[in-house]
Amino acid sequence: MIVTKSWLNEFISIEDKSCDELCKTLNSIGLEVDRVVEYKIPNKIVFGHVVECEKHPDAEKLNVCKVDIGTSIRQIVCGAANVRKGLHVAVATVGAIMPNGLKIKPVKLRGVESEGMICSATELGLVNIGEGIMELDSSIGEFKLGQELSENEYLQDTLIEIELTANRGDCLSIYGVARDLCAAYSRPLKKIDDAQDIDRRMGIGRVLQLSHTDGLNVNLRYKAVDVKEIKLPFIITLRLAQIEEKQKSDLDSVLFYSTYTTGVILRAYDYNFFKDGEEVDKKAKISLSVDSLGYATIYAKDKPASIVGIKQCENSKMSSSEGLVILEASYIPPHIISKQMAENKIENGPLFYRTSRGSEPKLNIGLNYFIGLFEKFSESDIYGGNIELCDQYEGVVVSISIDDINSIIGAKIDKTTITKILQNLGFDIGKSQGNSFVVSVPRYRHDIANKQDIVEEIVRLVGIDNIPSKPFTLKEKNPLSDGYFQFKKLRKYRNSAAAQGFFETVHFVFNEKVKLKEYGFTCIDESLELLNPIVNTLDTMRPTLMLGLLNAASSNIKSGYKDVRLFEIGTVFSTSRTESAKMAFIYSGDSSKDGILNSGKSKKMDFGTFVQLVSNVIGDIDLVKNEPVHSLANPYQSAKILLDGMEIGELYKLHPVVQDEFDLDETFICEIDFDKLSFNLVEVKAYSKYQASFRDLSVLVPNSLNYKDIQNVISENKTEEIVRFYPVDKYEDEKLGENASLTIRFVLQSLTKTLEDEDITSTMDTVLNALNEKLGLTLR
Amino acid sequence: MKEWYEKIRSANSVEDLENIRIAIFGKKGILAEQFEKMKAVLNEEKASFAKELNTHKGELTSLFNEQKIILQTKELQEAMKAEALDVSLYSTTSRKGALHPVMETMDRIVEYFSSMNFSVETGPMVEDDFHNFEALNLPKYHPARDMQDTFYFKDEMLLRTHTSPVQIRTMLHTKPPIRMIAPGAVFRRDYDLTHTPMFHQVEGLLVDDAGKVSFANLKYILEDFLKYMFGEVEVRFRPSFFPFTEPSAEVDISCIFCHGEGCRVCSHTGWLEVLGCGIVDPNVFKAVEYEDVSGYAFGLGVERFAMLIHHIGDLRSLFEGDVRLLEQFQ
Repeated sequence: MIVTKSWLNEFISIEDKSCDELCKTLNSIGLEVDRVVEYKIPNKIVFGHVVECEKHPDAEKLNVCKVDIGTSIRQIVCGAANVRKGLHVAVATVGAIMPNGLKIKPVKLRGVESEGMICSATELGLVNIGEGIMELDSSIGEFKLGQELSENEYLQDTLIEIELTANRGDCLSIYGVARDLCAAYSRPLKKIDDAQDIDRRMGIGRVLQLSHTDGLNVNLRYKAVDVKEIKLPFIITLRLAQIEEKQKSDLDSVLFYSTYTTGVILRAYDYNFFKDGEEVDKKAKISLSVDSLGYATIYAKDKPASIVGIKQCENSKMSSSEGLVILEASYIPPHIISKQMAENKIENGPLFYRTSRGSEPKLNIGLNYFIGLFEKFSESDIYGGNIELCDQYEGVVVSISIDDINSIIGAKIDKTTITKILQNLGFDIGKSQGNSFVVSVPRYRHDIANKQDIVEEIVRLVGIDNIPSKPFTLKEKNPLSDGYFQFKKLRKYRNSAAAQGFFETVHFVFNEKVKLKEYGFTCIDESLELLNPIVNTLDTMRPTLMLGLLNAASSNIKSGYKDVRLFEIGTVFSTSRTESAKMAFIYSGDSSKDGILNSGKSKKMDFGTFVQLVSNVIGDIDLVKNEPVHSLANPYQSAKILLDGMEIGELYKLHPVVQDEFDLDETFICEIDFDKLSFNLVEVKAYSKYQASFRDLSVLVPNSLNYKDIQNVISENKTEEIVRFYPVDKYEDEKLGENASLTIRFVLQSLTKTLEDEDITSTMDTVLNALNEKLGLTLR
Repeated sequence: MKEWYEKIRSANSVEDLENIRIAIFGKKGILAEQFEKMKAVLNEEKASFAKELNTHKGELTSLFNEQKIILQTKELQEAMKAEALDVSLYSTTSRKGALHPVMETMDRIVEYFSSMNFSVETGPMVEDDFHNFEALNLPKYHPARDMQDTFYFKDEMLLRTHTSPVQIRTMLHTKPPIRMIAPGAVFRRDYDLTHTPMFHQVEGLLVDDAGKVSFANLKYILEDFLKYMFGEVEVRFRPSFFPFTEPSAEVDISCIFCHGEGCRVCSHTGWLEVLGCGIVDPNVFKAVEYEDVSGYAFGLGVERFAMLIHHIGDLRSLFEGDVRLLEQFQ
């Protein structure tokens, strides 16, 4: 909603308020200022009158004008097509400096002296009102020739754009904003005069008749105007340009200008559209009824002319610039059309936004304003009286007490202040009993229905800045919910991942269905799928974090990184659209920085190093062979991850085909069910005070045997003196044939004594015997 | 004998000294040789001969020990010197990772409210109409429910458009008093320079007995919170409108870039809008069947906070895993 200071001034005296003050007030009463333009017209630009205008003897497009600027008459050469004798114009006199920096000097244009410049609106830094120079008139107030333009409040104006919240339909007009400002400044609202019904006018009843069905929630009021010679005043042209709402015709301009000023929905119909037959004495008939979808519709016989509050049909509009016009002001409660539109959406016209937010219900304000303009700026005849239809309206009444108000606000505001604010806002204060009273809400405040709405009015006019802040005193209650521990757990694992060199990423939870299917992932069931995805590449909910990480790794490699280390913890969706949290890692490229340590040649990341990094984040893990269900993994370097024997995710080397597709180097990926990671308090186990011993055991192992099997046999048969064991070397040689030599290191320690050689030997023998018995393994 | 003192003194390596030690103290060394000679010495001379010999032995031993320490120290110094490094070659850049600025900002917000006794609550991203709209006083024909804004699924479920449904869920399964925040991802069907289809919010709700919770309380905590997040800033409340609160306000801070002078970031207003808040609308309490309560609620966009705090210019870069951005947070 754009307003200007001079426009507001038509309804509230704010000449004394500076632009900053005005903006501050608007912001504090909840009308957020979005943009401010202060028009500044330079000095030495004065009002002038073109007393003579002749073609330049030597230039086709130039005119030589004599311009009266009060003190003297100046000769000015002007190139504008619309310059002519009799115009009132803006003249930049010698010495003026234009907003673009041009300094006005006496010059000769093709041999003719010129002392000044006749200005267009844009040359003065005003809005673009169209081609040519400004044609000024008394609509911007009386002016004297030679008077500085900068003294004129309509030209040297301030434009303020307000971002209205959806509830404030009452402020969608200059009148409405002024009305709210009146409450803020405790100043009276200047009323719009009633149009005088002069006797000699013919009554509207002679030309128009209205019929309607019952029970329609609409207000309508009609007037008839015989339109003749509209001379659109300069102020309307200027202001419609300021609010960026240029209209097609002069009639449309006056109509829209009146609606914008007063908030009343005004439409003009071609009288002939409603006329039944050609006979001169036949009246035009307007009938109003409900259409098949339930909308209140204006008909001419059976042709729809408009749908109240929604749109006007193109063919009912006035097409010629003169002739008999039916002028209509309408109002329909916004909740009725919002509901209808939600149920049966239909195409709507340019005024729909206003009606859906609540237009001005006092119809005569709009009609009177329009008629007032028409009487001033045209030769039209206005028919006497009007035809109207009024709905049944019961006002909104809210009862409230001072205590209610003060407990919601949290400050003591006295009754006098409260009643004054409400009265200034146009509320009627009814009976009061002690601290309680009844408030009637004016009809234009569609947003007010209950106590808290009333409190909001008090809050915004008292000003939130004037409410002292107060700490809340609480009842003790333990706030440590599951959500808090989930937050702490996330924090723990995220920090661990970052400490291991991984960067945290956040990706959209959307993925591309085609890609997912191509890689063998199952997406959510078709019947549960997204109805309105935003783009094709984000058309389903992700079942995995891996694709997001792959894309990110790929673009990072392209921007010059030799290694990329990323992780994400985020939500994924199952086929039944169940949400769960996953944690995923990707490592692509070099295993370390290239530099002095490796003579500039870093090794590529490898399986074991990646596993170690992941383990540093999530704890001790076991890996077993995995048959991947998707095609991202290289099946020969692919593992299930076990944590305390429970499967928690997968880890693999990226398949070389996919690697090429994403332009990546050696890449490793791991994805884990985040909920399966532990976040328990540690329970300390007994630990030995005695010395530990180390023994290596080298056994011949068939290549087909997995270490996991050996590990299981040792675990099942070891004595408690073996606290740890792990493979340290795998040696393959032609001489060993189908076998390899595997060296396993054992750490032995007793809780009760220092182990003797014979203890160790017997323990190792037990292990060796078990390996021999269960797997047929022998010492190398 | 004298020459051996000189030999010990002039030994120039531990190895050299060891050879001298063998030559003096060894089985066939000169001391052994001298003691052998004693057999042939006359009895009356034996005592003085032995005494002299023992004196030599003692002095040579201590001289040897001294010289050994000197030589060992010298050799250690030389060995270390041989391994001298140009340490400046090893200046390095970190290989640490980093937390994402949006997540890190969310953590800071959660920490603040946790310390102010708010519980942390979560809820699903896939929501139903009741929790996301209806219960929040967004009736069926409210413009904010337009298809343009909301992602719907084929079975009439939707992706939550704000974290507010978590308020409803929490109120439905617990009794007042409630002090909670709900951090999480939310979704709107909007994708351009300043909008992404997914972003993050933190929602706050406080509910207590009727008449206990006031706008003044809301003002207090938000002013304190914004100073914790942004440092010493001015905080301004502007009346505004949200369907689920009444009275409602938007909260601005004085521009952290130009300190209120007016710049491009604050659109020359000197203020930055950072929060929405208000007193909970009675219709919301009605929807969860709470009676005789009062409460306040607030909500904020985490990306906006992160972008302002860290001077990040491009919203979309936050969702691209771009290391050029992320590595700056190490």
